[in-house]
Amino acid sequence: MRLDRVWLQDVRSYATADIELSPRLTVLLGDNGEGKTNVLEAIGWLATLASFRGAPTESMIRQGANSAIIRAEGEREGRALLIETELVFSGRNRVLLNRQPLKRARDLLGVLRVTVFAPDDLDLVKGGPAGRRRYLDEALVASHPRYDALQSEVDKVLKQRNALLKGAQGRLQEEAAFTLDVWDAKLVESGGRLAEARQHLLDRLHPLLAQTYDAVANRPAEVTARYVADWADAGLAQALVTSRRDDVRRGVSTTGPHRDDIDLRIGGLPARTHASQGEQRSLALALRLAAHHVITDVTGSAPVLLLDDVFSELDPDRSDALLENLPVGQTLLTSASGLPPKATPDRILIVRDGRITLG
Amino acid sequence: MTSVYAKPVQELIDELGRLPGVGPKSAQRIAFHLLKVEKGDALRLATAIIEAKDRVTFCQRCFNIAEGGMCALCADDRRDPTILCVVEEPRDIVAVEKTQEYQGRYHVLQGAISPIDGVGPEQLRIRELLARIDGESVQEVILCTNPNLEGEATAMYLSRLLRGLVPKVTRIASGLPVGGDLEYADELTLGRALEGRREVDG
Repeated sequence: MRLDRVWLQDVRSYATADIELSPRLTVLLGDNGEGKTNVLEAIGWLATLASFRGAPTESMIRQGANSAIIRAEGEREGRALLIETELVFSGRNRVLLNRQPLKRARDLLGVLRVTVFAPDDLDLVKGGPAGRRRYLDEALVASHPRYDALQSEVDKVLKQRNALLKGAQGRLQEEAAFTLDVWDAKLVESGGRLAEARQHLLDRLHPLLAQTYDAVANRPAEVTARYVADWADAGLAQALVTSRRDDVRRGVSTTGPHRDDIDLRIGGLPARTHASQGEQRSLALALRLAAHHVITDVTGSAPVLLLDDVFSELDPDRSDALLENLPVGQTLLTSASGLPPKATPDRILIVRDGRITLG
Repeated sequence: MTSVYAKPVQELIDELGRLPGVGPKSAQRIAFHLLKVEKGDALRLATAIIEAKDRVTFCQRCFNIAEGGMCALCADDRRDPTILCVVEEPRDIVAVEKTQEYQGRYHVLQGAISPIDGVGPEQLRIRELLARIDGESVQEVILCTNPNLEGEATAMYLSRLLRGLVPKVTRIASGLPVGGDLEYADELTLGRALEGRREVDG
C-alpha cells in the first residue's frame, strides 16, 4: 500500500496543495501552526472517515469554503489506487474509488490503511483503560475486519443489559432476574470471545512491544503488557453472578470486557504512575509501532505510517534509532524541530504560510 | 414559523409524515397526489383505513391479525395444533406461510425483548403462550424470532422458560441463502452456517 500523490483543496489551512510523496520516508518540516498535521489528518481521513484529532469532519473544511476535496493516488496490492472525496458541511460526503462513486462513504473503510502516532497518544499510557481497550479493538479490526461485528454486538448487549439494570431501579423482581440471565448469557458468549481475541492479539504484540521500546527509549528496560480482566479467575459467567447485586444497585454492568485493561509496566513498575513523561511517550510510540507490525504481518501489506511530531520528546540518538528502525512500507513524518543528525529522508517538504514546497 | 400551506394540507402532510418509512418529502408528495386525484379515489383510501381499523382485530388465540375473534389460521381445522411456531410480528407469519412447508399453528409475541425500548417479557404475549401450551397439548414449539440480538435473546428466554413444559423446543437454523454464492456471504452468516453444519447421510 502506497500513496504517491495527495491533492488538497480547501482543507483546513490549504486553499490548494499538491503533495508528492516518497515511497519510503517523507518529512514535513515547519513551525508549529503552519499546517503540517493537517496533511496527515487529511490522509488519515481517507482511511477512517474521521479526523485522528477527534475533530468533526466539518472542521476540516477551510473557513469560507463550502466543501473540501481530498484526492490521493497510489498503489494497493499491485493495482493503481485513486481515492477522491468531497467533504461537505451537511449531507453526505461524496467518495469515488478509482473513479467509481461509492454508494456509502463507509465502503471506503479498509481500502487505505494507516497507522497514526500523534502527541495525544501519550494517553494510551497515561490515560484511563478506555483508550487502551480502543487501541486493542482498533488493531483487532484492522487485522481481522470480522471483529467489527463482534465489537458492536458486545456494545449492544451491554446497552440492553444496562437498560434492564437501570429499569430495575435498585430492586430486581424475579421476572426481571430471569431476563437478566439471558443478557448475562449473551454477554458471556460475545464478551468472552472479544476478550479472548484481545488477549490473543496482546500475546502477539508483546514481544514486538519490548523490541520497539528498546529501539526508541532512552534507557532500555523490560517492558511488559498484560491483559487484565477482573473476572478472569472466576470466569465471566460466575463473575456476573457475583457482581449482580452490585450491578442492580448501581444500575450498570460493573464487570465484563468493557472494564478490562492492559497493565503496562516498565522495569516491573506500572508505566501509568511510575514512568517519566519521556518513557511514557516512548511506550506509546512502541504500542503504535507494534500494532503496525502485527497488522502488516496479518494482512500482508504495510499500512501507511503517519508520525506526527514524533521527535519532540525523543533525544537525537533515539530519533536516529527510530528512523533506522522504521518498519517496511511508507512513512510520513512531521517535525517542528528539524531532523536528527543522521536522518536521510527521501523527500523533505517545507510547510509555510499555507504552502508546501520541496525542501 | 407559520406554514406556507393551508391548515388542512399541512395537517395531511403531518399525519402522513408520521407513517413508518415516510419522510417529510414523501409526505408532501403523497399529500399533493391525494389532492390532485378524483375525490372517489381519495375516499377509497380513507374508507379502507377506517374499515381496517374497525374490523381487524388481533386473534384472541395467537394474536395474528384477524377479522372477528379468531384468525383464519387458527380457525382452520386442518392445521396441526400440536406444533406452535412463535414469531415476533404478524408479518413474520406471512413469510413463513409463503414457504408452504409449515402446517402447524402460530403464536405472535408482538415484539421482542429489548430493555432499551422498554420491552420486557411482560409486554409480550408470553403469558398467553404458556396458557396455550397448557391447554392445547402442544408437542413442539419452534422459536422463529429474528436472528438479530433481540430476537436471539427472546428465543433464549423462551427456551429457558419452556424447558420441561413442552416435549420439544426448537430454534430455526441460520445460514446461507439458497441459490446464493459462498463468496458473497458475509462472515457472520457464513460463520453461523459453519457452526450449524450437519453430517450428510448418503
